Amino acid sequence: MSSYARYARPALKNSVDVPLQTAFSDGNWPTVIRLADKRFKTFKDPYYEAIKISAEFQLDGTAEKCAVLVAIDALLKQKSAPDLDTLELYEWAARDFLEDIDYSDTLGPLRARWVKANPKSPAAVQCLQSCLEFWDLVSAQQIAATLDKTYLNSSDRRYMFWSVTLTFLLSVSPQCSEASRKVYSLLALRQLERAAEITEKSTKVEATDRGLLTEEEIYLYFRVLLAHGTKDAYIISLYSSKLGALSQLKAGRKVLFWEALDVLETWGKWDIISDLCRGALNLGLEGATPTFYVCDLRIWKKFALAASKAANEESALSEVKAILKKFIGMKTKANEMYKKNISLASLEIAFRLPATILNPSPDHKGLTSRVVQVGLFLENYFDRLSAFDDIKDFVAQFTFEESKTFMEHVVATMLAQSADKSKHIILKVLECKFRYLLATCPQTLSHHPSVVDGQKQDKPYQCRFCANLTSLPCEHCLKQVIIEAVDTHKQIAGDPELIGVIPKLDRDPRLDLAIVIGNALLKLASLRGQVSDVAPSPLRDVNPALYLQAVLLLDTQLKETPSDTGLRLLLVKLYLLLGCASYAYQIWIPMDVKRTIQDALSPIFFDRISTISPGMFQGSRPLMEPLRTYYSNSFRDSCPLRIWDAFSSGSYSSILDLTEYDSGLRRSCTLMMTQVEERRATRCYGGKLDGGIDDSPFTEDIVDGTTLVNKTDYGSFPNLESFHGPPIQDFVRLGPELSNQRAHLAFLTEQYLDLLAFKPPKDYKPAKANEVAIKDRNYILETLSRLSNSLTEFIHQKETAALLTAPEMTYYTVISLLSAGLLTSLSTSRADPVPKTLPLLSSSIRSAFASLRTSFLTTPSALPDTYYSLTNMHAMAYVRDTALAMKHSAAFVFGFHEKELARDRSGKSSLHKEAVAEMKALDAVAAKALVEIKRHIQKLKESLGEGGWLDRMLEWTFGADEDADGDGDEVAKAVSDVVGGHAGAEEWAGKVLESWRDGVKGWGMVKME
Amino acid sequence: MANFRRFRPDDLNKLSKCNLDPLTETYELGFYLQYYAKWPSLFQVAEDQHGNIIGYIMGKVESSPDVYKFSEHYLPWHAHITAVTVAPEARRLGIGKLLTEQLEAAADANNAFFVDLFVRSTNYKAITFYKSMGYSIYRVVKDYYGDHSSDPTQHSEDAYDMRKPMKRDLKKEHIRENGEEFEVDPSDVW
Repeated sequence: MSSYARYARPALKNSVDVPLQTAFSDGNWPTVIRLADKRFKTFKDPYYEAIKISAEFQLDGTAEKCAVLVAIDALLKQKSAPDLDTLELYEWAARDFLEDIDYSDTLGPLRARWVKANPKSPAAVQCLQSCLEFWDLVSAQQIAATLDKTYLNSSDRRYMFWSVTLTFLLSVSPQCSEASRKVYSLLALRQLERAAEITEKSTKVEATDRGLLTEEEIYLYFRVLLAHGTKDAYIISLYSSKLGALSQLKAGRKVLFWEALDVLETWGKWDIISDLCRGALNLGLEGATPTFYVCDLRIWKKFALAASKAANEESALSEVKAILKKFIGMKTKANEMYKKNISLASLEIAFRLPATILNPSPDHKGLTSRVVQVGLFLENYFDRLSAFDDIKDFVAQFTFEESKTFMEHVVATMLAQSADKSKHIILKVLECKFRYLLATCPQTLSHHPSVVDGQKQDKPYQCRFCANLTSLPCEHCLKQVIIEAVDTHKQIAGDPELIGVIPKLDRDPRLDLAIVIGNALLKLASLRGQVSDVAPSPLRDVNPALYLQAVLLLDTQLKETPSDTGLRLLLVKLYLLLGCASYAYQIWIPMDVKRTIQDALSPIFFDRISTISPGMFQGSRPLMEPLRTYYSNSFRDSCPLRIWDAFSSGSYSSILDLTEYDSGLRRSCTLMMTQVEERRATRCYGGKLDGGIDDSPFTEDIVDGTTLVNKTDYGSFPNLESFHGPPIQDFVRLGPELSNQRAHLAFLTEQYLDLLAFKPPKDYKPAKANEVAIKDRNYILETLSRLSNSLTEFIHQKETAALLTAPEMTYYTVISLLSAGLLTSLSTSRADPVPKTLPLLSSSIRSAFASLRTSFLTTPSALPDTYYSLTNMHAMAYVRDTALAMKHSAAFVFGFHEKELARDRSGKSSLHKEAVAEMKALDAVAAKALVEIKRHIQKLKESLGEGGWLDRMLEWTFGADEDADGDGDEVAKAVSDVVGGHAGAEEWAGKVLESWRDGVKGWGMVKME
Repeated sequence: MANFRRFRPDDLNKLSKCNLDPLTETYELGFYLQYYAKWPSLFQVAEDQHGNIIGYIMGKVESSPDVYKFSEHYLPWHAHITAVTVAPEARRLGIGKLLTEQLEAAADANNAFFVDLFVRSTNYKAITFYKSMGYSIYRVVKDYYGDHSSDPTQHSEDAYDMRKPMKRDLKKEHIRENGEEFEVDPSDVW
């Protein structure tokens, strides 16, 4: 049986006659059943009965299908070892049921029992493989232990390490009973400690010894030691001359060294980190490893960080400096990458030095060693694409005096001395980036009194660069950045020589300039990221003209540099905020996010997409099908992908890592997002859902305690921000990123909606209707109780509000209240007084919903009505969803009430009239809101159908930023110059408009019932 | 700005800097994990200071199946470079060279006779790069690629099978000087 074709029809035993073999291989099941039955009666060999049962399973009857399970059960009850061929037959026959039956309770133990009886058979490994494919760790561990015992001291070392690895995996798996966990932990640990001891004591470990020999065996030892051993034992082993981190490094293996540094950092063992780093770097200096093999930036960072935490910080840093100096002395022989790492290490150390020894020059207070080091780095690397990213965190640490000196002396001098035109331009681009960066650093501002001459001041700071009163960041400096960047942009565009040089550069400098201008415009527009409980619309407090200018300018740049993914990603987010999902999708598609990278990158476009533009799901190909396919392929088996490859190759650390990765992927927030977004969109258009969300194989193991993980990759975003503020992705996103809490709330809400929507098949007519009704009622009450408890738990977690947009918070709160309300309504007997909580729940729902409706319908005075509505679809989606949840909850209660009345004419089991009345009130409020939304969409549609839209768009973009000082015009004019004026902007305006129309058209088809 | 280390599965969540580049192919999850499962020491990455992957190399060690033992195209125990890529922002720093050297060190540790790779015959930049690292053309695989990188009217493109001898090939028996003159069909290579 091959690893990835386990459903291939097994070959029958050679002893089986040709007619039966032929019928079996032809899939002629009636003949197989007839012949197998005949042979069984003749030979009394149970194998023929197994063939018959397996063939019967291929027919449609339920009883025949159950026969295999009964046969497996019978084998389990026997104490003797089963026949392997019979097991193979049953495993193949029951293949469609294997996901539903617990392998570890059925076929797994049978295979383990067989291996125990036949330990030397080559098929024993096959049994291990089968158990691993179904991730039955209990049986797999038993088989591996049997194999290890059988092949003790064999030259095939894998048996021993399979056994240890599986014992360890079992010890950390939920499959292990609490009672056995300790035993398995100790067993794995002791076996490896013994192996380590053998290695330590041997002059040479032979393949037949039970010591640690290979790299993978050593890694396994340290992983198990870390999980189940003591800190002291781990640290002692790290220093082992044969197995330790440095000895591994000497052999060209970095894995253990890096793992150890991370572990030690979490333990705060800075002295040991320092010791290991020193030892590693000395290996390079002494020639025990290639000199620069140890010169990863990370080792220098850790070494410097550890020194800064030493008791004698100055002396420890001096030692780091001394070692670095030796490497600097040999730098000319190094690869470019290592030269750069060494330069960055010099910076790292300079910035770790205590402020008291910054050695400022007497003439220039700001000319410290830190500024000098950054200047030296820039001299060497200013023309590299990553130059800004390499040093921005250092520049952001400058004091104001240092910043000023850096900009006015270091950068300015480099600019003045650069005769080469293209280099001059690259420096100008860097200068603009630094100006932007420093404008966002708090040290460039000083506090300004909040009240001056009895007048309250609305600007709390004074910029130390330009002396203007400002808020953070300094608006004046940002405007200056824009003007300078635009000037440079124009200078390039107007110089044919520079244009000719661009293809030879790493990147078109106009792209960098556009990103600086775009970012500065977004900052000026007050795009500061979502404050969930304050702003229901992400663009509510954002200046539309400046925002649109930023989008227009970046979009214009995309035409020039279409292959830049950073710019594309930024524009995708900006268009989603603008409500232009279809256009954002056009920008997204060329990036070809497919296969493996989807889990990390898809949330950038798809998160919340059904709330922005459900019409996106109306295309000919299901929008999220590639994601679904990806997960289906990845989770085809219960085991981690490629796990048997790792076992058969003896890659023990890979086994552990693959297991961990698989566990994370199965708990992916993106996976939950995929399902929830599709279901929401399907409901929008009245489509049929394929069962409840908890019927999906992707969610079967998810319970409230499961931590769902967000792994969104924002690494390619052009991030000019300093560490003092949030990174760019945080303020160009519609709301907080994917999170465990949001994913759980969405999952629970889907389950609630599934419950409301469930209708038994039309031909379902139970014989004992009353009995079934009581069971149904109990099931509904149990489900509501579970959902209500879970929703309340997640909603009330301290951090939840910060992880949701305001409309999401209202929606999930209302769902939580509705589930509680339904539970009370359905469980209160007509004879009892209605609990006081019910009217309270009802009024809380109405009040939360009213507040959501009000904030949705109230346009801020500074924004045009239509613009606000188009950029606020997310809130509208939640008004609709909340209203529908209320309406469907009410309908569920009414339906339940009617059904009970019809079933029990005495009326005893029907609902309390007050409960019904409360639901009627909710239904009425919801119905009213849905009419409002319908009207709202119609109004938007009419508005977008009117003439003069291009002019209106251009007016929104360039027309109305009349600041008191008139600078707004200057910025708009500068942007207009870059984008080719109004004429250049018209095409863009047309695309935005078309995308809005697409979105509204999609909303127009959304069902409001 | 860079650290070199062995690949970890979690790196697949940090591939955007490399894999959003149109010149880098994104494979199915099982493909990456197969390499990590079978040949973890031959899957190396370069990461930047934020943990983003800015370069990686995937390789394997193998020989042709035994059934081809007596074929003239039989490949003895060797390492093969399956994919190597460097993010645009990290180019011109020798990262590709360092990753290749690390794979070669792993190939030596695995006692391989040589390291081989396939490259489009029109990818002059890559060919020059590999030649500078000691690789030479061993044979030309006719129409190996189903498309042409620079000529849309062509439906296929030849590959160069390039090799570099490792320590085990003491007599340099697995390379040849006039490899351009040896043409084979795609069905002759594994």
